[in-house]
Amino acid sequence: MAAALGVSRQTVISIENGRYLPSLPLAFRISRFFNVPVDKMFDPDDEEAGT
Amino acid sequence: MTTPVSPRLRRPAANALGGLLFAAAWLIRGGPLWWVAILSVVMTAVRVISVYRMGGEDSDQGAIAGSRADERQKLLSVRSRALACNVAATATFIGLTFTIAINSPEWWPFVVILGALGLGYLFGLSSYGGDDEDGEAANAGASHITPSPVR
Repeated sequence: MAAALGVSRQTVISIENGRYLPSLPLAFRISRFFNVPVDKMFDPDDEEAGT
Repeated sequence: MTTPVSPRLRRPAANALGGLLFAAAWLIRGGPLWWVAILSVVMTAVRVISVYRMGGEDSDQGAIAGSRADERQKLLSVRSRALACNVAATATFIGLTFTIAINSPEWWPFVVILGALGLGYLFGLSSYGGDDEDGEAANAGASHITPSPVR
């Protein structure tokens, strides 16, 4: 999955754990990967994330 | 910017260049401390090998050392550099204040370093800023801009 998204394994783990909010291009790549709308996948009001 | 050096070799090569310049400075200086040049070459070799090996690791540090960092790892690197620059600026300011207090003639290097840090900061603002109305013109030629996925 990380290779398909063009990011590292550590970054995927950080996104999964809510420690990193991806950039808009990466968020769109993730939504396309899972075939889920980006607003269904990421909700910035749900949790405050940062690196 | 593209370079002929492979990504994994970029940081080791930069380390090697810096170390060899440092060693050359000791050689040019001459005197009884010429052996520091040899010590510098040995230390540089150790450093280059360790950075090259780190570049192959499957970690954030490895990705940064191997010049294959993704967006989060680049952000980590930028934040770490910003912290290092803040520490350097604080240390330099303390040094300047101390040298002035003891009436030392060696105060001017601290001013030069503080000036370089300030100019670097202003250059960064002008390079990466661009909140004017014509953002396209301000960002023209900036290779780090990712095209927007919104159509």
